Amino acid sequence: MAEDDPTATIDRALADLREAFLPRFRAAATEQALRDENAKILGKKGELTAVLALLGKAAPESRKAIGQKVNALKQEVETGFEGCLRALRRKGREAELSAPPFDLTLPGRVPVDMGHKHPIAIIREEVVAVFRQLGFAVFDGPEIEHEENNFTLLGFPPDHPATDMQDSFWTQSNHLLRTHTSNIQIRAMKSLKPPMAFIAPGTVYRRDDDATHSPMFHQIEAFLVDRHITLAHLKGVLAEFAERMFGPNTPVRLRPSYFPFVEPGAEVDIGCTFCKQPDGTRAGCSLCKHTGFIEVLGCGMIHPVVLENCGIDPDAWSGFALGMGLERIAMLRYDIPNIKLMFDNDPRFLAQF
Amino acid sequence: MKASYNWLKELVPQLTASPKELAARLTGAGLEVEGILEYGAASEACIVSRVVSTRPHPTKSGLRLVTVDRGNAQQEVVCGAPNVPEAGRLVVLAPLGAHLPAKNVTIAKRAIAGVESEGMLCSEDELGLGDDHDGIIVLAADSKATVGSSLAAAVPGTRDTILEIGLTPNRPDGLGHVGLAREIAALYGFPFQVPQTGTGTGTGTRTGDAPAVGELVTIEVQDAERCPHYGAAAVVDITVGASPSTRYRLQALGVRSISNVVDVTNLVMLAWGHPMHAFDLDRVRGKKIVVRRAKDGEKLATLDGVERTLVSDDLLICDGEGPVALAGIMGGASSEIQPDTKRVLFEVAWFDPRGVRRTARRHGMHTESSHRFERGVDPGDVAQVLDHATSLTLSLAGGTVAKGRLHVQGTRIAAEPTPPEKRALKLRARRLPELLGVDVPFAEAVAILERLGCEIVAKDESSCDVLVPTHRPDLGREVDLVEEVIRVRGMDAVPALLPPIRASRDVGGREELARRARDAAVSVGLSEAITYAFTSARALEALGAPKPTVLLKNPLGEHQAVMRTTLLPGLLDAVANARRHGEREIREFTIGPVFLAARTGGDGLPDEQLRIGVVLAGERPSWLAKPQPFDAWDAKGYAVAIAQRLAGASAAIEVVPAKRDEAPPHLHPRGAAFIHAGGRRIGSFGPLHPDAIEALSLDGDVLVAELDLEPFVAGPLSPKYAPIPRFPASTRDVALVVKDEIPAGEVEHAVRAAAGPLAAGVRLFDRFVGGQIPAGSSSLAFHVVYRAPDRTLTDAEVDAAHANVVKAVGERFGATLR
Repeated sequence: MAEDDPTATIDRALADLREAFLPRFRAAATEQALRDENAKILGKKGELTAVLALLGKAAPESRKAIGQKVNALKQEVETGFEGCLRALRRKGREAELSAPPFDLTLPGRVPVDMGHKHPIAIIREEVVAVFRQLGFAVFDGPEIEHEENNFTLLGFPPDHPATDMQDSFWTQSNHLLRTHTSNIQIRAMKSLKPPMAFIAPGTVYRRDDDATHSPMFHQIEAFLVDRHITLAHLKGVLAEFAERMFGPNTPVRLRPSYFPFVEPGAEVDIGCTFCKQPDGTRAGCSLCKHTGFIEVLGCGMIHPVVLENCGIDPDAWSGFALGMGLERIAMLRYDIPNIKLMFDNDPRFLAQF
Repeated sequence: MKASYNWLKELVPQLTASPKELAARLTGAGLEVEGILEYGAASEACIVSRVVSTRPHPTKSGLRLVTVDRGNAQQEVVCGAPNVPEAGRLVVLAPLGAHLPAKNVTIAKRAIAGVESEGMLCSEDELGLGDDHDGIIVLAADSKATVGSSLAAAVPGTRDTILEIGLTPNRPDGLGHVGLAREIAALYGFPFQVPQTGTGTGTGTRTGDAPAVGELVTIEVQDAERCPHYGAAAVVDITVGASPSTRYRLQALGVRSISNVVDVTNLVMLAWGHPMHAFDLDRVRGKKIVVRRAKDGEKLATLDGVERTLVSDDLLICDGEGPVALAGIMGGASSEIQPDTKRVLFEVAWFDPRGVRRTARRHGMHTESSHRFERGVDPGDVAQVLDHATSLTLSLAGGTVAKGRLHVQGTRIAAEPTPPEKRALKLRARRLPELLGVDVPFAEAVAILERLGCEIVAKDESSCDVLVPTHRPDLGREVDLVEEVIRVRGMDAVPALLPPIRASRDVGGREELARRARDAAVSVGLSEAITYAFTSARALEALGAPKPTVLLKNPLGEHQAVMRTTLLPGLLDAVANARRHGEREIREFTIGPVFLAARTGGDGLPDEQLRIGVVLAGERPSWLAKPQPFDAWDAKGYAVAIAQRLAGASAAIEVVPAKRDEAPPHLHPRGAAFIHAGGRRIGSFGPLHPDAIEALSLDGDVLVAELDLEPFVAGPLSPKYAPIPRFPASTRDVALVVKDEIPAGEVEHAVRAAAGPLAAGVRLFDRFVGGQIPAGSSSLAFHVVYRAPDRTLTDAEVDAAHANVVKAVGERFGATLR
């Protein structure tokens, strides 16, 4: 009689299915097998669908209850499927995660090998940036220059040993390759009225070619002309420059010296960057000849003769100028032992910066 | 300038600072001490000993065994010197344990050819006292040295500390010990007395019958502008000989001791910084000195053994018959002091610095004398220097000083000189704080100037009138006095104060342009070379570059004789250089000007055009794949990438392949192309021409590019936002077989045109040759991306557009679908 009771048959089928679906899901080894198994139960021709088909044979009053049972089981199966699917995926991911590591000793792949700026250019951009931050603008000028702008108006006496310091290359048209960027002082002061605050980075040439000299090298000149500018202002700018270029609390020392176009003139030493100790003192090293200081630039108050030569009244205006060799700073910064290395352009050299 | 610490202490007796302290003080005042040398560092450890006896070495013929008395004991040492003196003479013993820094040895007991020696008899060379190593030191027979005392104590001058001072060219006064002593006294605030030189004139062993100098010689100055002051004095009946008492002082200062009279001239120069000259009066022909300009082509053999051909700008010292010295620079051999010289004529003159410098440079000479005259010696010390020379001669070489001196100043000839006029300057008190930014009490400033030798002729609280001493030619303006004050006071006293900076505006814009070009080149993987702006005419010619317009008058060599008209020579040098070192991979750029003919109407200076040059050699970087050598397309890629970055992503950069007859001569005619920006040709790229590779010995292929930077000075074109597509795209590929002579770029243009407005992008993604593609053709495969801004395209729309591509391109180029 039970055979003939559709409700009992449905109940039995549902019970069997409830018993079986989880073990069947768990037995699936792959996602596809799991999905297939799920389809066998929930699909259009699935086992649960088949059970639902028996619903018509059941007594009408019990159909609602049976329907609820079927839906409940369907929910269970779906939840079971999701759970098994998650487990299966985690297992797969864990297998991938625990596989042997990549060989990261193989060379890295980049779109292109990085290019490198020349060490002199790096220093040049840094120095320009520091002075720009302080309020200086850049003034360009030519590398081939009139003698007047390079020497005469800067107060170099004719036939004077001061010009020995700057042995020049002359062109057949009686111009010269500028021996310093100080020609820009003259160009700026002749063409503009003060106040002015400029830097002039550039290539310069001197007739020297030996172990410590290159006939072509680079300088940056900075100069400021305004009312009431004093040596103290020059020291202030130098201290700020040293601080930003060479690190906080870098000591700056001025030693009187002579350049024809400044008066007073000085050479500037900064605290040695090589033997600096954690407490800020300098231990002394061979690079600073155990003085704790290294010379980095020359400077001074613009000579009244230079101002006059440019039509500026030295009683009303004053100014300072400073100039540095970029090769020297690059050599100090990067520990480059020989200036010649900078102009060989060996790729093995350039790639280091 | 080498300065003797002991000598300075003699001149400034109050000086107690150690050499190191003194060096720091001098450096702080602008007389930079670049080194401190210990002269005769071994002299304290070595002992004056008396030779007692000598016997031959038992086995070695060149050696002797010398017994010496070292004061408290006798000992025997082995000696190999050829000049071991007879018993009784004094020699110098380095005892056991003595360290000789000059040879970096410490004396230890050692056996020499089987005989033990417990010390060494020393030469000057071994003690670092000189370069004489011909034999051991033997003190003079009349030496008063005490046996057993140290050499340093027994022989003055054998121990000293030498300061090496790097003087700036404005301080000729520092080129003598008197000037340095004056400076030191001023720095420390000690009183200073110019040393007494003795009257020197007309005194001596035979006072009474001394001749007057005017009877011995006449002096004629024909060029008073170049020689405003010629002073002379003479000493007769002298005995030229060795000069043990001056030997070590001179040698400590790097001057070889020659003879007592020559040593006098050197010592006096080192004292006063004023060079002088000594003539053998008996070799001065015609008893006459003439100062005149040379005749063009006149010859003079100078003491360095060189015969010099003179020009009329050279100033000469002549005797009655011809030139004997190049004034202020170097003497000639004819009237030089000889061992038999009996009468000496001293010259102390003031020569025009510019003239001395011109002559010295013209003849490539640089002497202790020219060095000083060029910088300007003291015109006010001529008489003192002559007196010092004659009195020193008297004490070293005996004789009698001739009566009087001769001073020729223009047309005036007299026994006493007219003192030169001193420069008068006014110092206003307010200028000190105005220039220095620090308050200096005016009285203190004035005191500093006085200590330096300035004479204050009038003073109130706001200013003073100053007479500048003749030994300071560098003090020419008020500001120079201000500098003196801060120099002596020390610049440390000046505070550091950041000025208010009123902004200026860039002038030129090239620095920024170069920086952008540098960033562009580095961002595509190139490294920056800094290349010389000078090159050879030959290299430019090998590259077919414009002829140089700037030629150097005085180049360092032919290889750097002209200014470049292209950036390539320097870059190609880098390639050659790297290849010589076995480096084959080069990807470099350089930024700098080329130098072209001056623009008309300009300032006459050459036109400096800023460019960027690129060089590629070797293999393209690849990842674990077979590397491929760089080719023309790499050059194109880099050149376009740099131009694009400079012009802005939205700017049009075009590549125009060069027609065979238009290709730049340095480029391979098959691979040469021009780059255009804004419709203007701005440069070229391609493989370097094989002829150029050969002419420049480059040992392999090189790719180059060169671009003008000026067109980019305005900055990159600003990009304009384009809306991001909201609807999906459809992609169709088409592979077309076309004949090789049809440029791929044309096919791509045709594809783009045929695809119509729905084509959002066309990209060549494959080029295939061989296989089933007929010879002389290649397969070009394009991705064509179709998209509409306002809807999703249907397949039918896309297919219709794409069908048009196949049809149009097929018809136009005879292309078939692959």
